[in-house]
Amino acid sequence: MTQYLARRLAQGLAVLFLVSLLTFFLINLAPGGPSSLVDMSTTVAERNARYELFGLDRPVHERYVSWLAGAVQGDLGTSINQGLPVSRLLAQRLGATLVLGLTALVIAGVLGILLGIVAALRANRWPDHLVGTVATLGMSVPNFWLGLVAIILFAVQLRWLPASGIASIGRGFDLVDRLRHLVLPAGVLAFGLMPNIVRVTRAAVLEVKATDYVRTARSKGLRDLKVLRKHMLRNAFVPVTAMLGLITTVLFSGSVVIESVFGYAGIGRLAIEAANGRDYPVILGVTMVAATVVVVVNLIVDLLYVVIDPRMRHG
Amino acid sequence: MAEVLVTRSVTARHERRSRFFARALRQPMGLIAFTVLVLMVLMVVFGPAFLPHSPTRTSPLETLQPSSAEHWLGTDELGRDVFARIVHGGRVSLSVGIFSMLVGLFIGIAVGGSAGYFGGRTESVLMRIVDTFMAIPAFFLILVIVTSFGNHPVTIVVTVGVGFWAQMARSAHAEFKRFRLADFVEASRALGSHHLRLMLRHILPQVIPQATVLATLGVGWAILTEAGLSYLGLGIQPPLASWGNMLQNAQAYLFRAPILAVWPGLFIALTVLAFNVLGNSLRDILDPRA
Repeated sequence: MTQYLARRLAQGLAVLFLVSLLTFFLINLAPGGPSSLVDMSTTVAERNARYELFGLDRPVHERYVSWLAGAVQGDLGTSINQGLPVSRLLAQRLGATLVLGLTALVIAGVLGILLGIVAALRANRWPDHLVGTVATLGMSVPNFWLGLVAIILFAVQLRWLPASGIASIGRGFDLVDRLRHLVLPAGVLAFGLMPNIVRVTRAAVLEVKATDYVRTARSKGLRDLKVLRKHMLRNAFVPVTAMLGLITTVLFSGSVVIESVFGYAGIGRLAIEAANGRDYPVILGVTMVAATVVVVVNLIVDLLYVVIDPRMRHG
Repeated sequence: MAEVLVTRSVTARHERRSRFFARALRQPMGLIAFTVLVLMVLMVVFGPAFLPHSPTRTSPLETLQPSSAEHWLGTDELGRDVFARIVHGGRVSLSVGIFSMLVGLFIGIAVGGSAGYFGGRTESVLMRIVDTFMAIPAFFLILVIVTSFGNHPVTIVVTVGVGFWAQMARSAHAEFKRFRLADFVEASRALGSHHLRLMLRHILPQVIPQATVLATLGVGWAILTEAGLSYLGLGIQPPLASWGNMLQNAQAYLFRAPILAVWPGLFIALTVLAFNVLGNSLRDILDPRA
């Protein structure tokens, strides 16, 4: 088992290395890459000064090596537009995105698993069809549009919730205020995430429902709820856990758009600001951090397997 | 003898085809979705020839008008006809969606298929690359590419396709691996067929049902992604209309003319919904096991 986890850790590190290679060279070798920013400078002296400032006077592979050497020590370079260390910008923003993503995950997880179970237990009857319809809608409605509609409805018309931001300006830390700002973006993000969870849960429960041990449990006279709790839930959790890595990427992708709709200062919005301002070190840093979170989540999933599924401990 | 074999395979194909249609008839939602998509395609292909209004001509005296006989869906902040923009924008959104999916499908099957077919070292190298792409949230990868390579429509198509190929590669990998040692493949191999022929002529057809389903759902995903990208101002650039960048314009007028934010969103949702419903129906028709 330790061997298995060690191998997964090594694979995770290899993936991160490849991600850094891919993004660094995509950015630096592109025709519109960092050097094009420098070429806008007027005089030769100015151009050379900027080349040196961004380290562009060195060949690209040398720059990569020194960037990587810095990155493993937590130094991701300096923002071109803001002049601040990328790591500090990320540190300011990452927390907000994680709070948003985790809240959305909890909402989507609870709803998705519940609806998935209902759909599977009443397969091919109206509750199943209803859940299926809701899930297909969640997959089809653009989340940023849903965000706009939610703002029009709940913030502009009904005035129940704030339209944007993380907290009201000029107030100290206030949990209720923070939560009120979280409801709309997290809800919209969760609505887009839920269909995946519903589909996987439904399939898993359907599979477990047909197994011998569930039939045995039923024939012993156990009540449905107890069969569900004791025998089915644990097995249904395995595939949902397995897709946590995928869910993380979906959440990050979604946060880019949703944070812009709601003016929520997380790393998704940082990425957009950087993309609009062609702030390459920041784009690179944001992508690396997002990929690192995904890889770490995948490692946690590998660990969770061992906890949830006792067969893995001896495999 | 050969003739008998040929007729048999022709009748088998006929049978398969009629079975497909028989199953399709039992999927009313899928048929409705298919009809919606056909109408949508007809609208964006032939619509512009019949529309009285230009999608880009501004008219300062007719800004933000409500729906009327003249302007079916009203006009936007520059007095442009919203319906004309929806139709032209649909051209852009649908083509970006379809071509991106084709790009993703092609790369995915090429990489995933080779990994599954050859196995061994090729497989571990290629699948590590797939893992790498799976670890980068699609939207971040797309931002990296768009920032570096600009937002020409062709770049957008390739970029969105790149956001989708890894998933396609995973499933192509599994399928090619499943069939590479199948009897009919071995038989052809024994007759001296080379790798490319085995992969394209014998294994690829086995993958088509699943690929069709993924591709159909993929178009929906691609349309959503392009819309998101254009909404953020990083995708299709004005004055060329796309459903996404129409929503970007609309956001500035959320209070004065919220209806502007409704139409493009509805068209995106309807189109993507139709692709998703069709994809789910195709899954039921082509792969009754799932």
